[in-house]
Amino acid sequence: MSNDRREANQPIVRLEFQPATPIPEYLTGEVQSKLAYVDEWIVGAEVAPDRITLQVALPAVARVVDMILDEPAALTNDRRAELEEKVQRVVLSMAKGAIKPKIQVLEDYLDRPVAYEKDPLPELIARGEVSQEANGIFALGPLVARLIGYFEQQFLKLADSFGAQPYRFPTLIPARYMERVNYFRAFPHSLTFVTHLREDLEVIDEFSQHAACDDHGLTTSPEAFARIQALLSPAVCYHLYFALADRVLQEGHATATAVGNCFRYEAINLASLERMWNFTMREVIFVGPKDFVLENRETARQRMREVFESLGLAYRVESATDPFFIGEFRKQAAFQSAFQLKYEIRARLPYKDSTLAVGSYNYHQDFFGRSLNIALPDGSPAHTGCVAFGLERMALAFLSQFGLEPDSWPKEVRRSLYGLPAA
Amino acid sequence: MSHETTLAARVQSLVAEAIQAPVELVTPELAFGDLPQWDSLGHMEVMLRLEEQFGVEIDTDVIARLVSVPEICKYLEENAHVQ
Repeated sequence: MSNDRREANQPIVRLEFQPATPIPEYLTGEVQSKLAYVDEWIVGAEVAPDRITLQVALPAVARVVDMILDEPAALTNDRRAELEEKVQRVVLSMAKGAIKPKIQVLEDYLDRPVAYEKDPLPELIARGEVSQEANGIFALGPLVARLIGYFEQQFLKLADSFGAQPYRFPTLIPARYMERVNYFRAFPHSLTFVTHLREDLEVIDEFSQHAACDDHGLTTSPEAFARIQALLSPAVCYHLYFALADRVLQEGHATATAVGNCFRYEAINLASLERMWNFTMREVIFVGPKDFVLENRETARQRMREVFESLGLAYRVESATDPFFIGEFRKQAAFQSAFQLKYEIRARLPYKDSTLAVGSYNYHQDFFGRSLNIALPDGSPAHTGCVAFGLERMALAFLSQFGLEPDSWPKEVRRSLYGLPAA
Repeated sequence: MSHETTLAARVQSLVAEAIQAPVELVTPELAFGDLPQWDSLGHMEVMLRLEEQFGVEIDTDVIARLVSVPEICKYLEENAHVQ
């Protein structure tokens, strides 16, 4: 984990120490990703079961001191101790008494041959097909946009096969809604807040005349901004559950589909198109009795297996957990794993010999039904589930396996997008 | 008081503490979801306390089975040294 959170000329020091409790191998990735949120000075971290290595960016002023004293810049002992204490708190909270998740593999086609093995991003950027506007924020050109359009067709066919009703949801989501479903407790680290200038002539005048940005963003005082009433939505399906809140599902069930911008702040974990701050998801959402939701989730998986097979995509479907924040992680992740609530579609990224979650099959039990008072006709709380696809990640995985030249793409994709004859 | 009653009472008391509910609400037949407090976090708290107080190691597979007071009692009778 390493990314650009620092200014130019900031000295970097390396800090190594043993974790307060051994970190199980299966947890090292989760702990490492959480270290991004421990301290703004941390710009990189590596976690092994018996060793933690931090890259710490010192304030730029340390460079000046360094030059004057002709000594390497260093962390003060107090600061070093503070950083270590914060990291150990995370380690203890996540690793002590951790329950090992059972990984259940439902489909494994990772060994399908792939035609391409390079990282497509540098070439996409060179061709102007992808441009990075800021950390985690990307604009996509015609090639990727068309590919996403192709995948959208497939996902819409899936939605149609369930008779899903189309919805359009806003990008903003009220803070009060998110409070009602405990989102602040489970995922505080990834929230993105929305505000505006206070309705005050002086504040607005002052802003219009003096607003400026430095390397860290707007220099405007936080006092100029109004209290936060809304967030940028982290998922699509929440909007449907809120639309159904405090109601009885007269027909006994509902199936919906929608596409939407989603926002999850991932600090220094933000990386290329793999982990974006602002991304797009298409979801097919099921609300009804338990069997209705579970059967449809399974049917969706079977239907998507055929889609991925026709593409020749190398991927695997396996059980997974959501990235709960530190305090909730141990229990919530174990619960999700035990009840098999989440399965991820993990596509192969040949260029890094790794996989990337491009979609998921989710079951929430009656959590939203209870939290939001969505009732079935018999008065019991509704169960919910969703099938979600990350459109940019889907395109990235495809390009990673098939390359940037349409000639090397599966004929079905070429035909659909360009009307090209099969090779 | 029979062995079964004693164990059931211990489990009811443990569940009540774990989910922070009055013990009188934790009936001998209570199951996951019957009380708002016995939600996902409450359930995992029950599992952790079972491990601590009965010296059992609860496998991930089992967590999804131990969803009621009777199921927990049955599991403890088969897997823990209970008196």
